[in-house]
Amino acid sequence: MPKASPPKPVKLADVQRLMAEAVMRPLRRDEGMQTAWKDGSPAAEVAARIIKPNDRLSSFERLQIYNQQYWWRLLGAFGEDFWALRAVVGTRKFDQLAVAYLESHGSQTWTMRDLGKHLEAFLRAHPELTAPHTRLALDVVRVEWARVIAFDEPSQPVLDPQKIAAISPDGLRIGLQPYLTLLELAHPVDALLHKFKERRIETGAFSNAVAATTTRRRARIVARPSRRPVHLAVHRHELAVYYKRLEPEAYRLLTALRDGAPLADACASAFAGSKDLPTTSAEKIQRWFATWMQLGWLCPPASDRRPQAAEGSPRGA
Amino acid sequence: MPANRFNAFTEYGIGLGLRIPHYAHILERKPLVDWFEIISENYMLDAGRPLHILDQILEQYRVVQHGVSMYFGNASRPNRDHLRKLKRLTKRTQTPWISDHLCWGSVDGRFTHDLLPMPYTWEAVETTARNIREVQDFLEIPVAVENVSSYAEFHVSEMTEWEFLSEVVERADCGILLDVNNIYVSSKNHGFDPYVYLDAVAPERVAQIHIAGHTKFERYLLDTHDHPVLDPVWKMYRHATKRVGRTATLLEWDDRIPSFDEVHREALKANKFLPHAKSLAA
Repeated sequence: MPKASPPKPVKLADVQRLMAEAVMRPLRRDEGMQTAWKDGSPAAEVAARIIKPNDRLSSFERLQIYNQQYWWRLLGAFGEDFWALRAVVGTRKFDQLAVAYLESHGSQTWTMRDLGKHLEAFLRAHPELTAPHTRLALDVVRVEWARVIAFDEPSQPVLDPQKIAAISPDGLRIGLQPYLTLLELAHPVDALLHKFKERRIETGAFSNAVAATTTRRRARIVARPSRRPVHLAVHRHELAVYYKRLEPEAYRLLTALRDGAPLADACASAFAGSKDLPTTSAEKIQRWFATWMQLGWLCPPASDRRPQAAEGSPRGA
Repeated sequence: MPANRFNAFTEYGIGLGLRIPHYAHILERKPLVDWFEIISENYMLDAGRPLHILDQILEQYRVVQHGVSMYFGNASRPNRDHLRKLKRLTKRTQTPWISDHLCWGSVDGRFTHDLLPMPYTWEAVETTARNIREVQDFLEIPVAVENVSSYAEFHVSEMTEWEFLSEVVERADCGILLDVNNIYVSSKNHGFDPYVYLDAVAPERVAQIHIAGHTKFERYLLDTHDHPVLDPVWKMYRHATKRVGRTATLLEWDDRIPSFDEVHREALKANKFLPHAKSLAA
């Protein structure tokens, strides 16, 4: 006896759940909708349960329009945020990892800004997706996600230097701006990205010229690990995103502050094992703090912060 | 019939969508434009360059907010966090009304970022109207819902799209953002008379009109917003403005965006059809 086909969904929630599931299934390699449903039955039958055919398109073809639009939209946004990762692993591999990632970590908010939130963890769990460039790919992804954070993450009021001076370093806790990301990398990603962009501009790969397409496809980022770790701050200054190299001790100091250590402990841990004279260390700390204050990186620690309104004062509020 | 309670009785003329490629032109040359429509989600942020640009625009221009992710037609209720962020932005922009689409787009916390078509059922009427009322009550400004272009129809539908629209806006007591291009695209994709649709729309509820270009494929039309407005859509616009009177009108151009001047010229063609046109930029 032939198996009875499942009933057509009637309830709004059931129709939406079934259609969303179909829309979010990865496309075939030729960018068409998969012909088999997850249980092996024909996807055309599933489409026909909810979608009417017309005189030009079958139910399957009508549903396919939405399936394609979903993937082209998400892959487009993802590709814009992680263009350097594409240059590391190559277009074909990038497209495969993007689909694998977005299938397991689809968008969970109204904004596509957060699409790459779990990418680093995902790629760590699936090194085969970036092999043989996994270390470089992970470094690049961390920097690209830090750029997303730096672009629009909220800022806190900067610390008042006079208030800092009035508190003993033993008890003073200092926070870092939420838009600031500190990274320890195996590769000089800042320099690599800069060089890569310059090369693309020189070859015209940023223009719309047809000839540029070939260049864009070929353009790759290739690098060996640095001899020493690269310490990088990705931050925002006057509305633009910047990279700033940090000395290892400065990186350790900032990291300790971010993790909640009092200033005195943070300074001590930063210079633990250092051959610097105490006076040299003190001079460095003073110089770094002057720069960080100037850049607006220092703010009250998270425990002292009040909920903030958006930057600038709302009109008419 | 110059304006109505769904656009806060404002006399807006012809607006343009505020898009990134035009930022520099607008801020440097300050062209005369009646108003700009912004995509709310692009500015529902806590900091950064987009908000800085928006504040500069607000110093010079009137802004109306248009959303793409409220998903009034979702089976689930509107997200409160989303609403709080949206309300904060409305305080900033002082938008006289706010619009979003008559569609659904997320299920069980997963977002499609698409404007998916509604099954036109009585259950969907009730659910959608409930969601619109909730949003309108929370935001405390008039809400207008926009008809979407669609490529699929559902077996479960119990009425036409225009009947569905009418039932929803009556029950929600909200306005309509009438997208004439979307009606045209859907009419070709589903084989109905677009003028029957236009004539069924309650004119007193139309807060705003959208016009746009679309792309013709062999077997269907796609709403791409990457072309000038096509003649059949202008004809429908003429018909619509005869029924609803002078109404705030916006040209959508979102892909392959040409120069600001070209987009503006295309939008101003609407002046030919608006009764008693007194657009600032005419």
